[in-house]
Amino acid sequence: MMTEPIIRVANLAKLFKVPIREKRGLAAVRSFFYRRFRTVRAVDDVSFSLEPGELVGYLGPNGAGKSTTIKMLTGLLVPTSGQLTVAGFTPWKQRSAYVANLGAVFGQRVTLWWDLPVIDSYELIRAMYRIPADRYNQNLKTFRDLLELDEFIQSPVRSLSLGQRMRAELCAALLHDPRLVFLDEPTIGLDVVAKERIRQFIQHIHRQRGATIILTTHDLADVERLCSRVIILDVGRILYDGELSRLVQRFEGAHELRISAAEDGPALVLPGLPPPRRDGRFLIYSFDPRQTPVAALLQQLNSHVTVADLEVHRPPLEDTIRRIYEQRLLLDDGSHPDSPAGVEKR
Amino acid sequence: MYTFSIYLRLLRAQLRSQFQYRASFWLDVFTTAVFSGVYFLSFALLLERFGQIDGWRLGEIAFLAGMTELTFALMDLIFSGFDPDFFAPNVQMGRLDQIFLRPVSITVQLLGSRLVLRRLGRALEGLVILLFGIFASGMHWTLAKVLYLPILMVSQIFCMGALFIAGSTITFWTVQRVEAVNIVTYGGVEMMSYPMSIYPAWIRRFFTYVLPFIFMNYYPALFFLDKPDPLNMPAFAPFLAPFVAAILFWLALRFWRFGLNHYQSTGS
Repeated sequence: MMTEPIIRVANLAKLFKVPIREKRGLAAVRSFFYRRFRTVRAVDDVSFSLEPGELVGYLGPNGAGKSTTIKMLTGLLVPTSGQLTVAGFTPWKQRSAYVANLGAVFGQRVTLWWDLPVIDSYELIRAMYRIPADRYNQNLKTFRDLLELDEFIQSPVRSLSLGQRMRAELCAALLHDPRLVFLDEPTIGLDVVAKERIRQFIQHIHRQRGATIILTTHDLADVERLCSRVIILDVGRILYDGELSRLVQRFEGAHELRISAAEDGPALVLPGLPPPRRDGRFLIYSFDPRQTPVAALLQQLNSHVTVADLEVHRPPLEDTIRRIYEQRLLLDDGSHPDSPAGVEKR
Repeated sequence: MYTFSIYLRLLRAQLRSQFQYRASFWLDVFTTAVFSGVYFLSFALLLERFGQIDGWRLGEIAFLAGMTELTFALMDLIFSGFDPDFFAPNVQMGRLDQIFLRPVSITVQLLGSRLVLRRLGRALEGLVILLFGIFASGMHWTLAKVLYLPILMVSQIFCMGALFIAGSTITFWTVQRVEAVNIVTYGGVEMMSYPMSIYPAWIRRFFTYVLPFIFMNYYPALFFLDKPDPLNMPAFAPFLAPFVAAILFWLALRFWRFGLNHYQSTGS
């Protein structure tokens, strides 16, 4: 089924002029009067598109250009070059009309009125976004239940814990039924339980309301849990745009098989694998599941020793993503049919 | 209408926020009033000794200074969100981004983002000095003066507000607040508290042709106090205040728009 993409980004670039800081001596004095600039390509030829209702993880190390892209998508920054259309708007034009379609949560910022009870902020937001009364009441009721806001909705924002504040912010960002939601580090600094609650809520918003969501996060557990598609950015360019599962399949590092044998014996070396490491009573074999299926491994082992206990460890997603950054692994896998990056790559 | 109702709502939110700290609020108002009162009192005692400055008696100077103090305090209250000292760190912390993301005029949101009620202390002090000036100078009321006084005060508020807006806009380029801006705002206001005729010619010229503050306070005061004009300006000079204020405010808004565009193309 062909639908009109909600976000269409083509060859987007943003260049910044950064003054060169002279460290010492005459140069420092001179730079006070005459500054020299160098150009930094924060975002360099980025292209992708999003269908309505997609939930995409937007990943990259610090300085990769994530927040610059988000700022351009939200209209805070005007691109240096390239095309950008979101929900039929050019984000930095018609600001007021455009931002009414957006919801945004920035994990490290407070958008609610600091000294007022949470509910007062919601009332202000209702007025600013002109949310119809029935819609507002309905949404507020749903979110109060899902995010368990009742315990603190009458308390001033300054008295909330970080987790409570994040829940309050999520509700605030979604009261007006935005078509497009930007979540920037929504789980940062939270404990496991609080993180889980927020993930569940994001999932709900995505499934029940069909909102398009762009999630930037350093917590890859968020991504594993929520996103089927990820876009990975580094030094202003897209390294990967496609399904998370394919990414894992292609770039996951070696798995580990840990076995403990029923009886002591010399460490058994298996053909085609490096010799195992020893960790207490465990022998650890490192293997690549694409070449050596676990079943085959076990069969080999069983014919030599009696396996008393075994565990298979997959490398955490962090490691896989880090490998991609470090080695600048692929530039494109073209797995996403609507991605201009995949289709039109020159 | 919608925008104005949002403005009122935002102001109400600010009021409610401030009343969370009721005790400290009254203390602030009280301290501000006392401090600025003491300042003027010491000046008044000094003037007592000399009798007059450049033909201006204490009551007349009190009229000038009280009016400036009152309108500046009211401006500071209304335009708190544009106070460069507040605005610059606000931008640095990215709070302006949040304002960009709400579907309401950025200017209105900023005006509604801060309301420093303790400025009322200073306004009160200004009002007292103004009233003292009106009585002590033996000002002769006419219908024209009654009508012009509120117009003049509103003009002064917008004129000083223009300075705040321009001063904040500059921080888009400098990132940090600029001390020079404060010299112009606070220095300019300080200048307005005294008869401009006492200053050297080059300062007077600056406040006539560059920043035409002389039309905001000095000439209107000549009109209210029925004093002769030693500078021989045209007779309509006292009534230029609303026009000067309108032009300055319009220019400031243009500059502000330009600054916002710059912010959008460079980020912070």
